Amino acid sequence: MRFTPTELTQDELRLQQDVRSFLFEELPPGSHDPCLGMAARKDKEFSKKMAERGWVGMALPKEWGGSDRKAIDRFIVVEEMLRWGAPVGHHWVADRQTGNVILKFGTQEQRERFLPAICRGELGFSIGMSEPDSGSDLASVSTKAERADDGWIINGTKIWTSGAHENDWFVCLLRTSPMEDGNKHAGLSQLLIDLTSPGLEISPIPFLDGSHHFNEVTFNEVFVPDTNVVGDLGMGWHQNTTEMAYERGGPDRWLSPFSTVEQLLREAKGTELEATVSDLFGELVARWWGIRNLSLSVARLIDTGEAPSVESSLVKEMGTRFEQEVVEKLVHLIDLEYSPDSNSMFERLLSQCVVTFPGNTIRGGTIEILRSVASKGLKGLPA
Amino acid sequence: MTDITTVDPLITETADRLLSQTCDHESIQRAEAEGGAPEIWDAFAETGFPWISISEEAGGSGGSLLDALEVLRLVGYHAAPIPAAENGVLAGWLLGASKQEIPSGIATVVPSPGSQVTGILSGDEVVVTGVAERVPWARAAEKIVVLLEIDSTNFVASIDQDLCEVKPMTNMAGEPRDTVSFNDVKVAACPAEPGVSPESFRFRGALSRSALMAGAIEKMSQLTVTYTNDRIQFGRPVAKFQAVQQHLVWGAQDAALARMAAETAAREANRGDALFEIAAAKLISNQAAARATKACHQAHGAMGMTQEYPLHHLSRRLWSWRKEYGGDAEWSRWLGEVAVAQGADALYPLITGGSSTLR
Repeated sequence: MRFTPTELTQDELRLQQDVRSFLFEELPPGSHDPCLGMAARKDKEFSKKMAERGWVGMALPKEWGGSDRKAIDRFIVVEEMLRWGAPVGHHWVADRQTGNVILKFGTQEQRERFLPAICRGELGFSIGMSEPDSGSDLASVSTKAERADDGWIINGTKIWTSGAHENDWFVCLLRTSPMEDGNKHAGLSQLLIDLTSPGLEISPIPFLDGSHHFNEVTFNEVFVPDTNVVGDLGMGWHQNTTEMAYERGGPDRWLSPFSTVEQLLREAKGTELEATVSDLFGELVARWWGIRNLSLSVARLIDTGEAPSVESSLVKEMGTRFEQEVVEKLVHLIDLEYSPDSNSMFERLLSQCVVTFPGNTIRGGTIEILRSVASKGLKGLPA
Repeated sequence: MTDITTVDPLITETADRLLSQTCDHESIQRAEAEGGAPEIWDAFAETGFPWISISEEAGGSGGSLLDALEVLRLVGYHAAPIPAAENGVLAGWLLGASKQEIPSGIATVVPSPGSQVTGILSGDEVVVTGVAERVPWARAAEKIVVLLEIDSTNFVASIDQDLCEVKPMTNMAGEPRDTVSFNDVKVAACPAEPGVSPESFRFRGALSRSALMAGAIEKMSQLTVTYTNDRIQFGRPVAKFQAVQQHLVWGAQDAALARMAAETAAREANRGDALFEIAAAKLISNQAAARATKACHQAHGAMGMTQEYPLHHLSRRLWSWRKEYGGDAEWSRWLGEVAVAQGADALYPLITGGSSTLR
């Protein structure tokens, strides 16, 4: 494990500046309630505008509608979007991982069919991993795909499916052959499923504050054609693990409370609160600077062709705990009874952080699972 | 000037080899009991390491500040009981910046001169008076270097140690931190170059400690991984228990975070002021040291609390270095004032652009 310091090149700094100018124009400060990280509002128009600038699926090859840019370029765009609280929800999953998976493992036909549409910011994807009896122990998935003529018949249930009620497609990890000799990792495959397929039913699992992100998706004899199998049959576990390296360790794992912190400074400016928040801001800028540098070095590593699963797990575990720590420090410091419908944007955002951030250390792999992944890769003293 | 962003790998390799050969558990322990380790220093000095980053014209070994800080990282990693930070990066820098000779023996610095030591100009000499506390390795030094602000001008006084009264004292790791009395000592008045001030000296001291701390935290983390994989309880290595894995992961994170911060600050300091990066790196190292010592001690159980096991060489140094050249409060205050003064719209650009956004 080694995190090599890196910095942005002149070209990359220009991209950063372009994204900042775009955001300043599209969403001037104060004109919108910022979203808190990747659980952002879905705004197809905004996704389209980003896509027009080549900022969706940007690391995909030009022949598929991408921009042939690197993981680090995507890092720069995502970082600016998240710290601004931009509504990136519609293209989020496709941009972060599904595009990569289809490029890497998909057939030529799947690439033609999906990648250009992803890069136009049109397609929204959900991810189907968890099931009622399969959470952190992901390899225990039991939703079955059984052989039929020219395809597969699916029965079973997926849960915690973010955005299934608004998205177009569902990338699902399914059992395509029965478990043999207790090898849980074999016999799993990834299938692309149209969320409007007959027999597929989507019902909300309301979030603790009543909002609707999660769903339960049930399959009742749902037919999926052979052409929608991603990669090789039985290789779903391996593909899924590769996907995780993209999913973990990016700015979405440490920037969620940023717009709340920024808004506090905006509202405290010139009030007596300014002196109170000063020391806290000192600590926060230092920590963000440090974690960002680690996260940036993971993106550079991905650009060298590696899948740095240990490094990205370490960053995600640290980053999501930091997000919660930030909120706790704000709550501790700000001596007021904040409320979700206050006139103060800071109070509204803080209320939302308090209520939703317990999920940050759970989603996409709990920190307990991340520790187990990361600790296997830790090295002791050099021999 | 070329923009140097990487360390010469030969430096890393040579320093690591030399220090791993000379700094084992027994020799570090002995240095603590005897108040120094002249044989380790001699071996270190023979390679020219103590004077890296000081130009050859000034009597140094050449090389970049980045190289010098890499050596310090390894000094921290091996808990080497030598005044490496004081000699080159601090005293050497002050001497070079005031066109004074680099001594053949050890040079050390007075870490907080302003409040403790004063100088009065008398012709072309400075008369130095006062009692300086916590002067690293003063007992072993040939020269004690003091930065003095006299009538708004900064002077560097290079004082023969035998003209001073040295009272041996230590830090929590048993490293010499002596009390030095200057009784109207007269030395040549050598003004410092522009850019050398009590403030820039404080930042440079903090930078040196960040490098040492990054090394020590990394070694501590590796030691803990090794120990918990060797130690069997309930029929398996304790590293297999999730509760223990948490400590291992947290220790490794803080090692990575502190090293990233120290190396990034070093890169920027090699280019210019790097005030933001140094302040952030010292604060990060301080906090990382606090968390990592806790995690690593907990994972070691009672064994880590004994003198016979080497964890304490690292943890006690970290507890001491955390407070040297600025504790958590000093640096979070400095950074906080900068952040608040920049304002909300400039807050994220400060995080991504660092010191370059302050100019």
